[in-house]
Amino acid sequence: MAVGLPLKTTYANGDVYSAGDVNDTNGTINTTAAPFAAGKNKIINGDLRFNQRNFTSNTASLAYNFDRFYQFNGGTTGTMTVTPQTFTAGTAPVAGYEAINFVQCVTAAGASTDTFAVYSQHIEDVRTFAGQTATISFWAKAASGTPKIGLEIRQSFGTGGSPSSDVLTPAGSVTLTTSWARYSITIAIPSLSSKTVGTTPNTSFLGINFWLSAGSTLASRASSIGLQNATFQMWGFQIEANSFATPFQTASGSIGGELALCQRYYFRLNGNGSYNPIGFGYSDSTTVARMYVTTPPMRVLPATLDYTNLSIVADAIYNSTATVIGASSPNMVRLDLTGLSGLTAFRSYALLLQNSANQFVGLSAEL
Amino acid sequence: MDNVSFIKLTDPITGEIVEHAIIDRGNGEFTSMLKSTYDEMIARNEAPTL
Repeated sequence: MAVGLPLKTTYANGDVYSAGDVNDTNGTINTTAAPFAAGKNKIINGDLRFNQRNFTSNTASLAYNFDRFYQFNGGTTGTMTVTPQTFTAGTAPVAGYEAINFVQCVTAAGASTDTFAVYSQHIEDVRTFAGQTATISFWAKAASGTPKIGLEIRQSFGTGGSPSSDVLTPAGSVTLTTSWARYSITIAIPSLSSKTVGTTPNTSFLGINFWLSAGSTLASRASSIGLQNATFQMWGFQIEANSFATPFQTASGSIGGELALCQRYYFRLNGNGSYNPIGFGYSDSTTVARMYVTTPPMRVLPATLDYTNLSIVADAIYNSTATVIGASSPNMVRLDLTGLSGLTAFRSYALLLQNSANQFVGLSAEL
Repeated sequence: MDNVSFIKLTDPITGEIVEHAIIDRGNGEFTSMLKSTYDEMIARNEAPTL
């Protein structure tokens, strides 16, 4: 469709428009503004600013580390150690974007055909980018050598009813150097035609897999990167509906917005070691307390609770030895504390983090 | 090494007895969830969908 709207804002007799001054006859909109738009990047916490879990090193498979990112590693042999790293001011790889953190993944001892090491994020809803062309971009470097990163799209149709099997689409690989560089791969994400999404709400997702090591049985999924024992450093993850990579931005474009996006999936209250108050409630016996904590709106009702032991206070401070999620609604959870003694039944109490370092309560609604 | 224990609590509103799993991470940190959620997690970890 021909559009032909002029983009110039000042005119003079005899002006001749160049191609960039008007929308072209194919309907392409030529703009001069940088393509920043909230929601362009579907990867949340792509600049790795948020680490609510305060992870310092992790080797366990299926564990989350930086908010929204998790690792998946295993096989007969092989390990992956993920650690947070800090940019020295002025050394982040993008001019004008002073990032704080990057992630380091060290793969080691991988020697079997079933070894795998993947860094990944699940993007809510398998409908995301379905049937569209998308471009994945990120910055990366290796500590030494020239290892590869293989990219893969995983469309997972959720649970409930008879959902379709996962659709796995390898997207190719990139070869790193020992200097920061931005890499991008454009991929046609399959449509959902003839597919069935599970009937349980909010269980499907679009997975972005960054393959760091893969034995021969996984070669086709990992774009044949092979077994790699190497140190990978990565930052600035982005996926957008486009045939090329545009400038990096976080999913929300703001610090507060990004934290809110992260807290839809995981919300953590961290203490400072001085009996921080976090909620109120009551005892319904001499040993059990029902305490209420407000939360941001989360993606689904939280299913798991991470915690250090909690205390309650009224006439005195009482320490519990176990806490579970008793009930929840979109903005509040009831935590049931047990292992208490000497409470007065049906007395009001306040809920406290205990008075030592690194106390917390975390609620997970991750995919 | 993680240790797992199970506790049963009576819901104060419904009167239902609900079983929970508590995973002791061994460093003063714990993770708790419904036992049914724990069973699903174990099954998923034993046959992970990569």
